[in-house]
Amino acid sequence: MSKVETPRIEYPLATNVGVLLAAALALWGVVEYFGFESSYQKQYHDPYLIAAQAARLENFREAVSSDAVLGYLTDATPGSVTADSMFLAAQYTLAPRLLQKDASHQQVLGNFTRQADFAAIGTQYGLILERDFGNGVVLYRGEPH
Amino acid sequence: MAGLFAVFLAVVLGCALVSRFGNLISLQPRWAAALVIFGSGTALGIGLTSILFVLGLLLIPGSRGLAMWVEIGALGWISYDLFRRRNSTPPTEKPRPFPGNMILMAALVLSLALAIGAMSGSWEANPQGGWDAWAIWNLRARFLTAGGSLAHRAWSPLLGYTHPEYPLLTSAFIARAWTYSHSMSAAVPIAVSCFFFLALISLAVGGVAAWHSRSLGLLLGLSLVATPTLAHVVSDQYADIPLACYFAGALVLTLLDRPLLAGLLAGLAAWTKDEGLLFAVVFLAAAAVFRRPQLTGLLAGTALGGATAVFFKAILARGTASLLNASLPSLAQHLSDPARYRQVVGAMGAEFTNMTAGWYHPILPALALAIALRFEIQRRRDVLFCCIVALFLFTGYFFVYIITPNDLTWQLQTSLSRLYVQFWPVFLLTIWTALRAPETTAIVQAQVLKARKKA
Repeated sequence: MSKVETPRIEYPLATNVGVLLAAALALWGVVEYFGFESSYQKQYHDPYLIAAQAARLENFREAVSSDAVLGYLTDATPGSVTADSMFLAAQYTLAPRLLQKDASHQQVLGNFTRQADFAAIGTQYGLILERDFGNGVVLYRGEPH
Repeated sequence: MAGLFAVFLAVVLGCALVSRFGNLISLQPRWAAALVIFGSGTALGIGLTSILFVLGLLLIPGSRGLAMWVEIGALGWISYDLFRRRNSTPPTEKPRPFPGNMILMAALVLSLALAIGAMSGSWEANPQGGWDAWAIWNLRARFLTAGGSLAHRAWSPLLGYTHPEYPLLTSAFIARAWTYSHSMSAAVPIAVSCFFFLALISLAVGGVAAWHSRSLGLLLGLSLVATPTLAHVVSDQYADIPLACYFAGALVLTLLDRPLLAGLLAGLAAWTKDEGLLFAVVFLAAAAVFRRPQLTGLLAGTALGGATAVFFKAILARGTASLLNASLPSLAQHLSDPARYRQVVGAMGAEFTNMTAGWYHPILPALALAIALRFEIQRRRDVLFCCIVALFLFTGYFFVYIITPNDLTWQLQTSLSRLYVQFWPVFLLTIWTALRAPETTAIVQAQVLKARKKA
């Protein structure tokens, strides 16, 4: 006959319940996030049309040298989300070319939301329409100030 | 694929570096050591290679692939050295784990799978990421990828509308991968964001598991994955997740008494975003009070990333206006305007309540643990250190809003949620340092068994 002592470890009910409750709450949170993210992506699928800008500005990009500093002209309301997103998306697509929000450059990107008389718009700023790439994208030529 | 290879190269190099020099292999349990090595290695590898890439751009602009060969050479040497020393790792100690740890591990893996599944849908829908990703971070990566004098456009004052003064860690790292792969694949910034998220979770889980309690480590990881606003920013590819990773990593490694590595991550936070500079200052000041024996190591570690960030701000981007400089003319007026304080306090409170998804708020797991486990005061200096860092970091954010020269309503609407993303892991980690470990609540009873000894 011999005695073998093995320690039995028990945890208070509060510990077990607290740990399992915290884990369950976290799992619930992840499930809620999953649902939120899924519906968010359905609602906001490329909201600023960044992917579309690459195709829209592709020919313009090829026509202008990569070290160019370009002026910028648009018909979007200044300060609006549309104007800001159009400008920044064009800058992102055309980098390393630099865009400047004025028309006093040798080359100027015309980035328009709708069809118009682009040549006449350019004339107002002393610019000559050099090429119309379609989809509201035009290249103007002007005199650097 | 080549772009992803460049990302993996940096991660593997970082992991090899911390395995060889970080004294992390000795941490227990082994799985926690592996997580801390992965987390700190990823953060360090990405940070160091981004600095190396920028140095190459500035010093040897013609040889764009040179840094890659330096990285491969370093990886080869460290791997060989690790292979030679492979038998020197200590044996695993016999733990007395909390019995629910396997359930917690399974829950963490399931949570990560669900979260990354949700993110993958987002990456498919918006591969360019959120506004700041394409308008700031990835845009500047495109300039850096162009190389030569065009790379300098990443911090040109002509980019004034898109923060050319911001530090370059994420942009430079993405540019590095794009340069090595000769393509600007959207998979690279996605992978960077995902790696930083995994590194953040790994550092939190492994760090707390090795420092204090395995179950608390796993629960911290679960709570972080289950923070909807944090997970959402991962798919946006913003620099706030890298920053959160560096914040949490610096704190965790300080608790683990790895000051050099902790300092390196704090310095790299400064090289990631302006808020990282604030963190580095607060972190070192708190360490000077509560972690004085570690201070030399922390300062030495912080020097690399901190000096790179200061050099960038003071020399390269000196022509661009910083938020602090721009706020000076109206400083006294803004500081003495009680309406601004009311507005910021109100917005911060509202943002906290808006962190929900459905009925779930990410503070709930912490509340459940605080009620069930309660707090302990045995590690008072560690708790105070984390508390002071969290408190002063949050206070710093508060006063940045008070003095901002921009329209306050616009500034709060566009940035406050992301500041909470940066701050949340620090906040949870601070709570976790004070929580009593489930393992310490164990009641050990001696059970006497009578065994018949066969003759």
